[in-house]
Amino acid sequence: MSDLVLTQPASLAIARGNGKRSLRIVQSLCILIIALVMISPLFMLLIASLKDDRFRILADMGSFRAFWVSDPTLSNYKEIAHFSGELAYGRYLFNSLVILVATVVSGLIVNSMAGFVLAWGSLRGKATLLALVVALYVIPQESIIMPLVVMMSRAGLTDTFAVQILPWVASPLYVFLFYQFFAQLPKELYEAAEMDGASAFRIYRSIYMPLSLPALATVSILMGIESWNQYLWPTLVTQTDYARPIAVAIATFFGQDSIYWDRAMAASVLMMIPVLILYLAFQRWFVSSFVGSAVKG
Amino acid sequence: MGNRLLSTIFASAALVATAGFAEAKTVIHVMHQGDPGWVKAYGDVAARFEAANPDVDIEMIYAPHDAYNEKFSAAVMAKQLPDIMELDAPFLANYVWSGYLQAVKPLIDKDLLDDMTDSNIAQGTYPIDKDLYAIGLTDSSVVLYGNKKYLEAIGARIPKSVDDAWTREEFEGYLEKLSKLEGVKWPIDTFRGYGIKTEWITYAYGPLLESAGCDLIDRKTWKASGTLDGEACVKALTMMQDWVKKGWVVPTSSGTNQFYAEGQPAALAMGGHWFYAEASAAMKDNVVVMPLPKIGDKGVSPNGTWIWGISATSENPEIAGKFLSFLLKDKDYREYAKTQSAYPGLKSFAAASPLYAEGGPLAIAFEQASKTAIARPPHPAYPTITSAFMQAVDKIFNGGDAQEALTAAAKKIDEDIEDNAGYPPFDEQQ
Repeated sequence: MSDLVLTQPASLAIARGNGKRSLRIVQSLCILIIALVMISPLFMLLIASLKDDRFRILADMGSFRAFWVSDPTLSNYKEIAHFSGELAYGRYLFNSLVILVATVVSGLIVNSMAGFVLAWGSLRGKATLLALVVALYVIPQESIIMPLVVMMSRAGLTDTFAVQILPWVASPLYVFLFYQFFAQLPKELYEAAEMDGASAFRIYRSIYMPLSLPALATVSILMGIESWNQYLWPTLVTQTDYARPIAVAIATFFGQDSIYWDRAMAASVLMMIPVLILYLAFQRWFVSSFVGSAVKG
Repeated sequence: MGNRLLSTIFASAALVATAGFAEAKTVIHVMHQGDPGWVKAYGDVAARFEAANPDVDIEMIYAPHDAYNEKFSAAVMAKQLPDIMELDAPFLANYVWSGYLQAVKPLIDKDLLDDMTDSNIAQGTYPIDKDLYAIGLTDSSVVLYGNKKYLEAIGARIPKSVDDAWTREEFEGYLEKLSKLEGVKWPIDTFRGYGIKTEWITYAYGPLLESAGCDLIDRKTWKASGTLDGEACVKALTMMQDWVKKGWVVPTSSGTNQFYAEGQPAALAMGGHWFYAEASAAMKDNVVVMPLPKIGDKGVSPNGTWIWGISATSENPEIAGKFLSFLLKDKDYREYAKTQSAYPGLKSFAAASPLYAEGGPLAIAFEQASKTAIARPPHPAYPTITSAFMQAVDKIFNGGDAQEALTAAAKKIDEDIEDNAGYPPFDEQQ
């Protein structure tokens, strides 16, 4: 009897343990399959960029050969690494980087200041202003793009870096994000600093900004990706290689009659790298900001 | 210190002088599209022109092909039209009607004008004043490509000239036979993969329908109702829908290379002249070039490509014309165009092109230009005509009712024309 009492739970525990292990294996397998599916286009892109025959790339696309290259070559990368002339992809990459850094840095300053004022500033009609900011967010960019082109051209900004930075520095979404983040911080922080005689700008700069790393990371990544992937706007307002970004330059590979898949793939890989670096640099805070907002919510 | 100050003053003076000199140059803006090869070719011609004309600066403005119209609209709105612009031939009437282009005859070298093929003249001519508003080195056409091995296996007749093109009965009979042939997955690739964002459907399918007695719009009354949704069009599009239903046509999802892809799953391809370079590179001598089939009583083929015009707002039209003449005569530019199997729009270019000259592998394609080419409707409403038509065809190919889709398209076109009061003076063209 005692044996029976002792052995029954043990066998149950083993069975339960086995069950858990099998479940974990199934879960891991599922995750692995999903991960493979998610990563396969990127892998395919990387492999295709190492093939130097655009017809081969096309022919391989529908089969597993798309994931294999027998004689890898960097010739596509060499082809696009020019820094001057109409096909200066190195130059375009540099242009995109300048636009990204300038947009993100100035965007962080402007939007965080606006968010801070909306959260803690002694403004009249703050609620209305906030409602207006949120209302602005629902207006699609495409609907104002043509009037914006006319404005920028009248300001004489066509074909400059400024025309690709200025319109996108202030954004209702990021103002609202900062507002939400600042508003959640304890009121006592502001009051204590104020009692110590700190000005509003000092409180913003020395207390609230250092505390808002997750918000800064989130906005940096979102703004960075948005700026990096801009296509229609720079197409409309840039003319020459002086300020043309990489996204517009890559479109050169997609001609009316033929597509240069080989070089387009190599340029796409190069285009992907800075955004990946940006994400990897900020992802810890980026994730924590999303987790934090979910928990707080 | 004094020396440094002196050299700074001299340097500044030199800079100011250089800036002044740069400002004295006449700047000609040239807006164009194209893949890297063409972009480089245009850039090289511009550099050669600048070297020959030191007082002129050619600024090339690249606009991506798929966003060309948006870029053009932005330039119009911002009043920043370039001096020279590349434009898609069927949009010419709309641009001239809108006042964006000026007649180029007095601005282009006479020997070039005399060298133009009839089809090239047709694509650059505005029907109201019959004046020439654009000129190009090239033109275009669509032919029927065949896989020699498969055609021999079914005993198909290979036409040797435009005059003995396949009839509808022959064409459908061969499609049926090919559908049963081992190794053939689809009898024909009509390049549905180009989608409805390009001009392909109107450009390539339009002539097949015209051959069957249909047209996109009545070219005298400029009314689509009664023509586009008439019996001939409904019958012709039902015929094409039937090909799709029978599984004879490569589906959109399979891309645009099934004719020469691994295993060559498509036996025929209704492709542009530019497709020859890709197909022959992959299939060598196994490619046969044939004229488009005659669906009805007459054969019809498309024409028209990207051509060059001078904007009405250009402050230096003579220099712009001089550059265009220089571009179209440039030897290296022509050499590059040859490597791209560019379809000749100038007689001298045709004669020098081994592909299109008599006996060349694409001679049949060039023969179509003088015998069967019909331009797309040269009307200011063309942007609406093509968009409505392409959406209708797409619906029909995806199983929609032909009559219903064409009636909706015709209505949309007529409404646009009515909204613009008939686009006078087109309303008087009866």
